[in-house]
Amino acid sequence: MGHPRVDAVAGEARAAIGRAASSADLEAVRVRYLGRQGTLTQILRTLGTLPAAERPAVGAAANEVKRELETLLERRLREVQAAERRRERAAARPDLTLPGRRPPRGAVHPLTRVSDEIAAIFGGLGFSVAEGPEIETDWYNFEALNIPPDHPARDMQDTFYLPGSLLLRTHTSPVQVRVMQTQRPPVRIIVPGRVYRRDIVDMTHSPIFHQVEGLAVDRDVSMADLKGTLELFARQMFGARSRIRFRPSFFPFTEPSAEVDVVCFRCGGDGCRVCKQSGWLEILGSGMVHPTVLRNVGYDPEEVTGWAFGMGIERIAMLRYGIDDIRLFFENDVRFLRQLA
Amino acid sequence: MKIPYGWVRELVAVELSAAEAADRLINAGLEVAGVTPIAPGLRGVVVGEIEAVERELGESQGHRLALCRVTTGAGRYTVVCGAPNARPGLRAAFAPPGATLPGGPVTVARIRGVESEGMLCSELELGLGDEHEAGVLALDPDAPLGADLLRHLALDDAVLEIEITPNRPDCLSVLGVARELAALTGARLTPPAIALKEADEPAEALARVRVEAVDLCPRYTVRVVTGVTVGPSPAWMAARLRACGLRPISNVVDVTNYVMWEHGQPLHAFDAATVADRTIVVRRAGAGERLTTLDGQVRTLDPSMLLIADRTRPIGLAGVMGGASSEVTAGTTGVLLESAYFQAASVRRTSRALGLRTDAAYRFERGADIEGLADASARAAQLIAELAGGVVSRGVLDAYPAPRPPRRLPLRMARVRRVVGIAPPRDEARRILGGLGLPTRERGEDLEVEIPSFRRDLTLEDDLVEEIIRVWGYDRIPSVTSPSSVRLVTLPASVRQADAVRRALVGAGLVEVVTYSFTDPAHALALRSADDKEPIELVNPLSQEAALLSPHPLAGLLGAVATNLRRQQTAVRLFEIGKTYLRADEGPREPRWAAIALTGLRAEPAWYRPPEAADVYDAKGLAEHVLDALGVEGVPAPGRLAGFEPDAHGALALPDGVVLAEFGEVAADVRARFDIDAPVFAAVVALDAVAAAPARPARYEPLPRYPAVQRDLAFVLDDADLTAAQVQAAVRVAAGPLLRDLTVFDVFRLPDGRRSVAWRLTFQADDRTLTDDEVNATHARIVARVTADLRVTLRGA
Repeated sequence: MGHPRVDAVAGEARAAIGRAASSADLEAVRVRYLGRQGTLTQILRTLGTLPAAERPAVGAAANEVKRELETLLERRLREVQAAERRRERAAARPDLTLPGRRPPRGAVHPLTRVSDEIAAIFGGLGFSVAEGPEIETDWYNFEALNIPPDHPARDMQDTFYLPGSLLLRTHTSPVQVRVMQTQRPPVRIIVPGRVYRRDIVDMTHSPIFHQVEGLAVDRDVSMADLKGTLELFARQMFGARSRIRFRPSFFPFTEPSAEVDVVCFRCGGDGCRVCKQSGWLEILGSGMVHPTVLRNVGYDPEEVTGWAFGMGIERIAMLRYGIDDIRLFFENDVRFLRQLA
Repeated sequence: MKIPYGWVRELVAVELSAAEAADRLINAGLEVAGVTPIAPGLRGVVVGEIEAVERELGESQGHRLALCRVTTGAGRYTVVCGAPNARPGLRAAFAPPGATLPGGPVTVARIRGVESEGMLCSELELGLGDEHEAGVLALDPDAPLGADLLRHLALDDAVLEIEITPNRPDCLSVLGVARELAALTGARLTPPAIALKEADEPAEALARVRVEAVDLCPRYTVRVVTGVTVGPSPAWMAARLRACGLRPISNVVDVTNYVMWEHGQPLHAFDAATVADRTIVVRRAGAGERLTTLDGQVRTLDPSMLLIADRTRPIGLAGVMGGASSEVTAGTTGVLLESAYFQAASVRRTSRALGLRTDAAYRFERGADIEGLADASARAAQLIAELAGGVVSRGVLDAYPAPRPPRRLPLRMARVRRVVGIAPPRDEARRILGGLGLPTRERGEDLEVEIPSFRRDLTLEDDLVEEIIRVWGYDRIPSVTSPSSVRLVTLPASVRQADAVRRALVGAGLVEVVTYSFTDPAHALALRSADDKEPIELVNPLSQEAALLSPHPLAGLLGAVATNLRRQQTAVRLFEIGKTYLRADEGPREPRWAAIALTGLRAEPAWYRPPEAADVYDAKGLAEHVLDALGVEGVPAPGRLAGFEPDAHGALALPDGVVLAEFGEVAADVRARFDIDAPVFAAVVALDAVAAAPARPARYEPLPRYPAVQRDLAFVLDDADLTAAQVQAAVRVAAGPLLRDLTVFDVFRLPDGRRSVAWRLTFQADDRTLTDDEVNATHARIVARVTADLRVTLRGA
C-alpha cells in the first residue's frame, strides 16, 4: 500500500491509540503523530522533496492515513472519556440510603388543627367567624343567656371571677349576644375561642379549654335545620357514613335543647371501650335559641327563630386522635405535638 | 340520686326492665348515670333466729365472741359471732355454709376450737351499707324464718342513678320518675295512697307558726304528732333507705327522708318538747347569730339567711339543716313536722355561704312544689303514726298568705312546627301533656295548658314545645338543610393575621404550643418592669401557682421550654399565638401576641450540617420573618418589654416609635425562675400593633431591564460602639441612587478584637447599562466618605 514510511507511521500510531487509557494519553498521541511537529505532519510537509512521480501516491496515502487516525482518535477518545466519566461518577456515587436534606418542618398544635377544620367545614356552609373577649361581664356570660344570679344552672359552669365584677367567660356564648346586638338577622356565625371553668385538672378536665360555638338566626330556622346542618358537619368531620342522634337536654339559653351524639367512629356503633359500649359519642350541646335570649338582644322571637350549638375542641381532638389525657394538649411536649402534625 | 327501680314500679305499672326504663328516660332527657343491682354478690342469705347465746369464747378485735345457736326453721346451726346485738330471739341476716357474700363464699370454719357453721351478717358484710360495729343486720320479729333475704327486703332489684338537669327538680323523687315513665309509656301512674287518721284535737291547739319573712318563705306548714315512740325503723324501710344511699337513723327521722325520696319534698321533724311555747317563728337571722346544726357545727349567720326559730332561739336553718337542740332523739314523744316552701335563691346562697350542701338544700334551690308539699306532709304524718305509734292532730298549721293560682299557657301547634320543623297531631300532643300531668283544653286549632305547681320550669310556650317533642321522640325530627340565601362569609382580620403568622412559623420549622393563660405570681414578677401595671388577679384561683392572668407574652411559652428541656429535647423551637391580659383605665385589655422561644440547637443534628446553637440573631430573624409575612417592616428601636438581657435586646418599630416586635436573649434571672439552665432566645410580635401599621403596598413594579453590577466592601470598625447599621446608613447616603441593594455577607472579629463587616453592594440603573468607570467612581466615593465620617478602615486597602 502506498509508502513504506507512511505505513510504518500508521501502524505505530494505530497501536498507540489502542494503548491510550486516558484522554491525556490520546492527546499525547494526537500531538505525536498529527500535531504540528507530528510524524505524519512532517511526512506531509516533506512531500515537496519527493520525486514528482511519487508525490501523488505518497500524498494520497498520507492523507488517507491522517483521516483514518483522526477517526480512530475520535472514537477512542469517546470510549476513554466515557470510561473516565464512569470512574468519576463511581468515585462520587451518592449513598441514597442516607437521609435527605430536609427543610425544617414545624407543627401546628392539634387544637388549632381541629379548630381550623371545624371552621372550614362551617365556612363551607356559609358561616362567618366571630370572636370576642375572654374577660366578660356577668351580664354577657350569664344573664343575657337566661342564667339569672343564684340559679342552680350556674353550677353547670363553675366560674373564675376577677376584680370589678368581671369574670372569665365560661363558654363562647357571650359572643353570640355581642354579635346579635350589633347585627340584624340573618346571622350565621361560628365562634372559636378559649373558655374557663373552675374545674380541678384531671384526665378529662382542664380549667382552660376551647370551644366552637355556632349560631344561626333567620326568619324560619328550625330544629330540623339544626339537625341537617350538624349531620353535614358530622359526615365531613367524622366520615361519610357518620350518623348523629339528638337527645333531650337542658341548657338555660336554648329551648328545646339537645345533646348530640355521633355514632362511635372506632366501633361504628357496635360498642367498644371508646364509647363505653354505648355505640355513641357525645360531641356537643345544642338547641333552639331561647326566646328570652332573642329578646335580650332586641330580636323578636315571633319574627325570627335561631339555633345554636357548642362543642369542646379538646373533646373532639381527643376522640379523633385517641388521646386519653387532656393535659397533653397543655404540656406541649414537642414529641406529642409533632406526632399529630 | 339513687332510686330503687322496684319502688318506681310500685307507682307506675310499666313492664320494662330497669335497663330498658333507664334507656327510655335517657332518651327523654333524664340522665340515668347507672343501673346497678342493690345487692350484688349476695346469694343464699336467709332470715335466721338466734335461739340461744351459749357461752363466750373470748375476745377478737374488740368484739366478745360468743357461741350462738341459730335456726332457719329448716335447720339448726352453731355459729361463732362477735356481734354486740346478738341476743336470743333476734331475727337477723344469716348466711349458712354455701351462701355467697360480696366478700366470698361462706364455709364451715373452725374458730376458737369450735366449728362455726355460717355467719350472722352485718350491713357491711352484706354489702348493703357501712354499718358493722352495731352488729348483725336485725330483722323484724315477724320476718319469716328461712325466707331469702333478697326477696324479703326487696333487694333483688336494681338502683337507678338519676342525674337531673337543674330545670327538673320534680324528677328528684320516685314519684317524679314514675310520672315521667308513665308519660313515656302510657302506663298508669298511681301516686302513693295517703290514708291519714287524724285525732280530734286540732293542731292549732298544740302549736303555732309565725312567718316573718314571707318573701323567703311563701308557705310553711306544720303537722303535730304526739305520743310517738322513737325506735328503729322496720327492716323494709331501713333496707330501702340504704338502697337509696341513706343511713337509717330512727323511725321518725327515716320517715322524713323516705317521704323526701318518694315525693321530692324535704321535710323536717322537730322534737316538740324543745320548741319554746311550741311556737315556730320563720325569720331572718340576726347579724352574727349562731346556731349549732345537726352535724354538731356551730354556724355563724347573717341577715340574708332564713332561720327556723322558736320564741327564744334558732332551731333550724331553713331548707338546709335542722338545729341540734331540737333534734328528734330516743326520748322524743311529740313531733312538729315541717313541710315548707323556701325561696330557691335564698336557700342556695345560704347553703353556699356556709358550705353546707344537703339533700334538702339541693331540692329547695332547684324549686320545691308549693302545692304538693301538703301531700308530702300528710303522707309523712301517716307513716310516723304507723311506724312510731303516735297520734296525728287534726288539720295542719298552714302559713300560706298568697296562694298562687295555677298558671295557664297557650300552645300554638303552628309554633311547634315552626320551632321543631315537625309536630305531632294535636291529639297526640294532648295525650303527651296529659301523661306529664299537664291538663289541656282545646282552643280552636291550638291548646291551653295548665301548669301544675311541680313544673315551675315551664314558663313559656317553647317550654311546652320541648315537652311535646322530647316525649314524642327527638328521633322524629327530620334533617333538613334549608336553602338559605347566599351571603358573604367573612373571617375577622385577626384570624387571617394569626393564620399568616402560623403558616410562616410552621414553615420555618417551629412548633406551635398552647399554654394556660394563668401564671404564677413569681413568674409574673420576674417578667415585670417597674412601670407595668399590676397583673389581673383571679378572685378564686385554683392554686397560688395559677393566681394571675398572664401579663407577659413569654410567661406560658417559657414553661413549655422548661418542660421540653426537662424531657431532653435538644432543639426546642416553639411559638404561641395568644393574648396577655392587662389592666387599663377603660377596662381590661387583651392584646394579641405571637411569641417565639428558641433554645439549644438551631436544628436537629443531621449528617449534612454541623450542630450549631441558636442565638439572638435567630430570634431577630424570626421576628423579621413574621413581620415580612404580615407585609410590614420595622426599623431598629430599643426594646421595652421586661425579661430580656439588657445588652441583647432589641425591637423593630415603625418610624413613629410604635413597637412591632421585640427580640433578645431571655434574662438569666427569668430563666432561673422557670428552672431553665440553657440560654433562651425569644421574640414577640405585637399583632395588634402590626394590624394597625401601614402594610407594604401590593403593587407591581417593573423588573430591571439593565444588568446589575456587584461590588464587595469590607470595613474594620475601629470604634467598638459603632454598629453595623450606622455604617450601612452611611454607605447608603454616600452611594446615592445607583445603589439598589446591600447585604451583609461576612462578619468576623480580628485578633485585636475589632470587628470586620463586609457588604455586597448591588448597583443598577433604570435607563442604561452601568460602565465599570461609573461603578468604580461610586465605590471610591463611598469609601472616601464613610472612612472620613466614621472611625472605620477599609479592609484589603
